[in-house]
Amino acid sequence: MKRWTTGLAATLALVAVAGIAHAETIRVTVAEYSKKTGPYFNDAAKAFEKDHPDAKVQIEVVPWDNLLQKLTTDISAGANADVSIIGTRWLIDFVSQDIVTPLDPYMTQSFKDRFFPVFFKPAVMDGKTYGLPIAASARAMYYNKALFKKAGIDTPPDTWSELAADAKKISALGDDIAGFGLQGKEIETDVYFDYAFWAYGGELVTKDGKSGLDSKAGYDAANLYKKMIDDGSTQPGVTSYTREDVQNLFKQGKVGMMITAPFLSKQIKAEAPNLDYGVAAIPAGPNGDRGTYGVTDSIVMFKNSEHKKLAWQFMDMLFTKKWRERFTSSEGFLPVNKEVAKMPEFADDADLKQFTNLLPDARFAPVISGWEQIADTTKNALQTIYLGKGEVKPTLDQAAQQINELLKQ
Amino acid sequence: MHRSALINPYVLVLPGFLLAAFIILWPLYQLGVISLSEVNRFGQLKGFAGLENYLAVFADPDFLGALWRTFVWTFGIVIGALVVAMPVALILNEDFYGRSVARVIVMLPWAVSLPMTAIIWRWALNGQSGMLNSGLRDLGVLDHNIQWLAQASTAFPMQILIGILVTIPFTTTIYLGGLSSIPTDLYEAARLEGAGRWQMFREITLPLMRPFVNISVVLNVIYVFNSFPIIWATTQGGPANSTDILVTYLYKLAFRYGKLGEASGLSIMMFALLLFFTLLYVVLAVRGDEE
Repeated sequence: MKRWTTGLAATLALVAVAGIAHAETIRVTVAEYSKKTGPYFNDAAKAFEKDHPDAKVQIEVVPWDNLLQKLTTDISAGANADVSIIGTRWLIDFVSQDIVTPLDPYMTQSFKDRFFPVFFKPAVMDGKTYGLPIAASARAMYYNKALFKKAGIDTPPDTWSELAADAKKISALGDDIAGFGLQGKEIETDVYFDYAFWAYGGELVTKDGKSGLDSKAGYDAANLYKKMIDDGSTQPGVTSYTREDVQNLFKQGKVGMMITAPFLSKQIKAEAPNLDYGVAAIPAGPNGDRGTYGVTDSIVMFKNSEHKKLAWQFMDMLFTKKWRERFTSSEGFLPVNKEVAKMPEFADDADLKQFTNLLPDARFAPVISGWEQIADTTKNALQTIYLGKGEVKPTLDQAAQQINELLKQ
Repeated sequence: MHRSALINPYVLVLPGFLLAAFIILWPLYQLGVISLSEVNRFGQLKGFAGLENYLAVFADPDFLGALWRTFVWTFGIVIGALVVAMPVALILNEDFYGRSVARVIVMLPWAVSLPMTAIIWRWALNGQSGMLNSGLRDLGVLDHNIQWLAQASTAFPMQILIGILVTIPFTTTIYLGGLSSIPTDLYEAARLEGAGRWQMFREITLPLMRPFVNISVVLNVIYVFNSFPIIWATTQGGPANSTDILVTYLYKLAFRYGKLGEASGLSIMMFALLLFFTLLYVVLAVRGDEE
């Protein structure tokens, strides 16, 4: 009798071990966009496990600021997940080091048809698609209608010179109110400059593969910003304001205009519902050029994944209408699925419409290895100019020289 | 007399050595290997690079700036904390009503995690809505807002002040321990001889506190030299790298720019630098004690 129970226990243990080995586990690293991100992906994992009884999905939620660091350490230790969200501007490094795998073999025509094609563009390299646009965003100008009225201005500015004039009038209202909210600190400080730089006809990387900062467009845009800082049209001490800090000023009604992403509408709705504001296109330059920045984050599959098929099925599910709708709505992104975009929640949103209208002109961050360092070099040069520690031309020339060195590598 | 091999001092030291080797020497060896290799941004080794990574670090003008600021930062905070913590410890060593409450209050900042403290200071130093500006304006010290974190000339001193503030509790604790070890009859004897308070401090307290001051300086130099959260949370080393110290520069090098080879080289240099200064100080301190 005793021997029989031991035998049974051993068999059970064996079955249990076999059972564990049989269940395929895929690990998914996701960036934390908001406090709703974790629950969203965990719900998706649960739904997926329900449809695939043999599968386990393990979600790892990582704050944006630590994402690249975590991926770097995971990859160097060979302990990376099967699937991860990454900033599309990092993708080139992942592709050139052979870390991620092309998704084309898995993508059927009907899968591709779910998307607006423009969003695929940034993640296509050498004709192969390496990432799916998990999050998409663009930039437009927010303006405070109440402040505009107070300053006697009827419509939002359509060109940068109008913007500078309007900003001056709004700043003249006093009471710590600034016409133009200018970001001068931390992530995307360079992009905030690019809005004007592009409008003046600048290109981040010229056709011959050099930095475009040391061009007339670069000098003009920097002079414009510097002049606005000097005549008090921006908030004081711009180099201590991150994008979030400027958004906070806008929510408090302390700033007449600022340029940022759709998620500010969401924040205003929740935190400052009485703010009378509008969304308009980013102003044009003297030749009518406009610089709209489009950003996508990609979800990629790693080359060393041992469960590619299952991982793809999970990715596929994330891009079905039901799951896209919930994600797009709760995180305040632009719809990338055609079906989702048609839903009244998105189709009838006036703010969102401004952003989607801008998309045809949208530029994406250039696909260049080591882009983060180039962005940082640009940021440092801009901060030097904003602080008045360097003249516009020599500072930009020097930055362009450094960037050219980096581009050569 | 025959002695068991098991009580050979080297055998007795072995377990401790193995533990230290596992925690310190192995990562150090790894760093050394990476720093001499060509590495891609995901830490995968691609071949031998010789001293190239080290030379690249030296060729970067931001490195020298960060190195110089690291010295200012370290000595500013260590000396600052010493100067403030000594009187605080002397006062807390006196017997007065509510002393235990006062001691708890001085220790409290220690209980709050450093990044948290730094983030709160980031808010307090905010130019528009920060506590510091509104406090100084209420007191009539300022008539306009100062953008504390907008330029290095105000940001860096502020960061050092925050550093001093968070270093005080630990330093005070060491000094309090030291003070309680000084026998009270020394002071009684001195008082009978007619010594004043300043004389007693200089001739009795200070010499007897010497070993405690020494240990606080060594430990604080090590902590502060490698302290990351205050600068990262307030300015991330900006604007234009003007508040970078070596450890924040190292972080950017490794995890923003993906130059893991150079970052490993810098880590080794920082380790060597710290080791050198610590040994130098210990040697000086020991020699001073022997005299």
